[in-house]
Amino acid sequence: MNDIPKAELDRLQLGFVPLLDCALPVVAREGGFFAEEGIEVTLLRQNAWATLRDKVAAGLLDGAHMLAPLPLAMSLGLGRAPCDMLAPMLLSRNGNTIVLSEALADAAKAALTDDPAASARALGDYLRKHHQAARPRLAMVYPYSCHHYQLSHWLDLGHIRPDRDVDVIAMPPPQVVDAMRDGTIDGFCVGEPWGSLAEAEGVGRLVATSAQLWPDHAEKVLGVTRSWVHRYPATLTRVMRALLQASNWLASDPAHSDRALEWLALPPYLDRSVSHLAHFALDEPPIRQRLAGPDLLRPDPTAMAHVAEYIDQHMRSNGRRLDHDTLAECYSPVHYDHLAHQ
Amino acid sequence: MPAASALKVLLVDDEVVRAAMVEEALASEGHQVICHLTSPASLNDMVRRHQPDVVIIDMESPDRDTLESMSQLNRENPKPVVFFADEHDPDTMQAALKAGVSAYVVDGLVQSRVKTIIDVAITRFEAFQSMRQELDKARNQLAERKRIERAKGLLMKHQGCDEEEAYRMLRKIAMDRGQRIAQVANSVIDILEGLEKGS
Repeated sequence: MNDIPKAELDRLQLGFVPLLDCALPVVAREGGFFAEEGIEVTLLRQNAWATLRDKVAAGLLDGAHMLAPLPLAMSLGLGRAPCDMLAPMLLSRNGNTIVLSEALADAAKAALTDDPAASARALGDYLRKHHQAARPRLAMVYPYSCHHYQLSHWLDLGHIRPDRDVDVIAMPPPQVVDAMRDGTIDGFCVGEPWGSLAEAEGVGRLVATSAQLWPDHAEKVLGVTRSWVHRYPATLTRVMRALLQASNWLASDPAHSDRALEWLALPPYLDRSVSHLAHFALDEPPIRQRLAGPDLLRPDPTAMAHVAEYIDQHMRSNGRRLDHDTLAECYSPVHYDHLAHQ
Repeated sequence: MPAASALKVLLVDDEVVRAAMVEEALASEGHQVICHLTSPASLNDMVRRHQPDVVIIDMESPDRDTLESMSQLNRENPKPVVFFADEHDPDTMQAALKAGVSAYVVDGLVQSRVKTIIDVAITRFEAFQSMRQELDKARNQLAERKRIERAKGLLMKHQGCDEEEAYRMLRKIAMDRGQRIAQVANSVIDILEGLEKGS
C-alpha cells in the first residue's frame, strides 16, 4: 500500500451534482477510503454543471464528478475558453432515464418495453397526429452530456425533430421533477434518482433508459485539469485508488449498498430525493446503474464513440472538426492502467 | 454617455438588493436593464422576448445550464449567447469568479464594450458581499450581547450578586482561561441552565 509516494496535497475539494452516480466519491469519503490514503476530501455540491466546470477550470475545485463528455468539451473549448482536461477514471455507467409526464405518456400511449424505439415511435405518431398542439418541452441536463445525445438518439428513433416537433432545453437535475409537476416541462432525460422519483410521485412515467439505448455507456467520470495532474501526480493516484476501493467495497457485500444509500441520503448529498428508494439498485434492469465490476471504471476513447460522433456533428455545424488526438488524450487509460499494475 | 454604446442587459439574480444595486449602476451609465429572478423555463422566454446583448447571472444560479443550452439548441434564436471568458484578461476573469459574477454576451459583440459592464457588476457584487459580511457581524455581536446578558442574569440569581459583580466574574473567568467573554457566557449558560433544569 505504501508503494505510491505520499499525496502532495492532504486536503482536497471535489465538486459534485446531486445524483446517485456521485456514490463513489461519497463512499470514499464516508467509508474512510480517502482518509486511508492520507487525504481529507471535502465534497461540495454544485447547482449547475457550468458552475462546476468553471470552478475546476479556475482551480477553485481540485476536481469533480463530471458528465463523461464534459472534459472533452472543455478541452475543445466548447461553451467556454479551452482548458486541457483529463478523465483518468470513470465513476459510473448507465443510469439515465427518459421520462414523460403522465399526461403525455397517456395521450401518446408511450410505455416502457424492452425496445426503447417503441415508446419513441408512439410519441412520434402522436405528435404527427396532433401537430397543431403546442410543442412538448423536453429537458436534458447540459448541452455536452450523454443525456442530450441519448435524448436526441431516442427522438430520432421516433422520427421526432427538435425545433419542429419538440423544444429541448437544459435544466439541472434537482429541478426536473418539480418542473414536470407544474407543467413547465413534459419530459426529460436525467440521471437517477430523478427519473424514479418522478414515477414514485406520480408525476411522470419512465419510457426508456440509457442502458437500453447505449448499453454500458460511460456516464460520469472523475474530471481534473491536466495541469493539476502534472502538479499532483501522487495525489491523483491516491484519489483514484480510494475511489476504486469504494467501488470494490460496494461490490463485496449487498449490505454495503444499503449503507451507501444511507450516506447518500445525508443532507449535504441527495437528502430527501432518495427517500422513495427501498434499496440502492445496482445493475438491475431496466436502469442498470453500474458502479462496480472488473475494469468497469477504466476509461477508453473507443467507449466514447457515441459521444464523439455527436460532438463532431455539432462542431461541423460551426465549421470545425473533432480532433481525435484530444479525444484520445482526454480518456486515456494510462493513469488507470498504471494504478492497476501497482 | 452616448446612446450608441447603450446595451440591453438581462440581470438574473435572486438577491433582490444586489440586483437593484447592479441595475442602478448600469442604468446610470445609460444601459437598459431587465431584472429577472431565477427560473429556467421563464428564462428561456425572457431571452427570446428581450434579446439581450449581455446576460449577467449569479455564478451559483442553476439557470446557467439552461442559458448555455440556448445558444446551442434554439436555432430560431437570432442572437446566440456565448459565455464571456476573456483569455486576454485573466484578472477580470478571476475577479468575476471571486465575486460570483458570470456573464454571457451576444456572439460578436466588441469585448471592450462588455468589459465595462462586467466591471460594474463585479464592483456591485463585491460591495454587496462586504455589506452582507458587515450585517452578519452586527447580528453576531447582537446575539453575543444577548448571551452575555443572559449569563449575567443567571450568575446574579445563583450567586446572589449584583450586575456589576456578575460581569466582573465573567471577565475574570475569561482572563483566567484565555477565552472571550462571549465564550465564557456560553459555558456559564450551559452549566447554570443545566442546574436549573436538573432541580
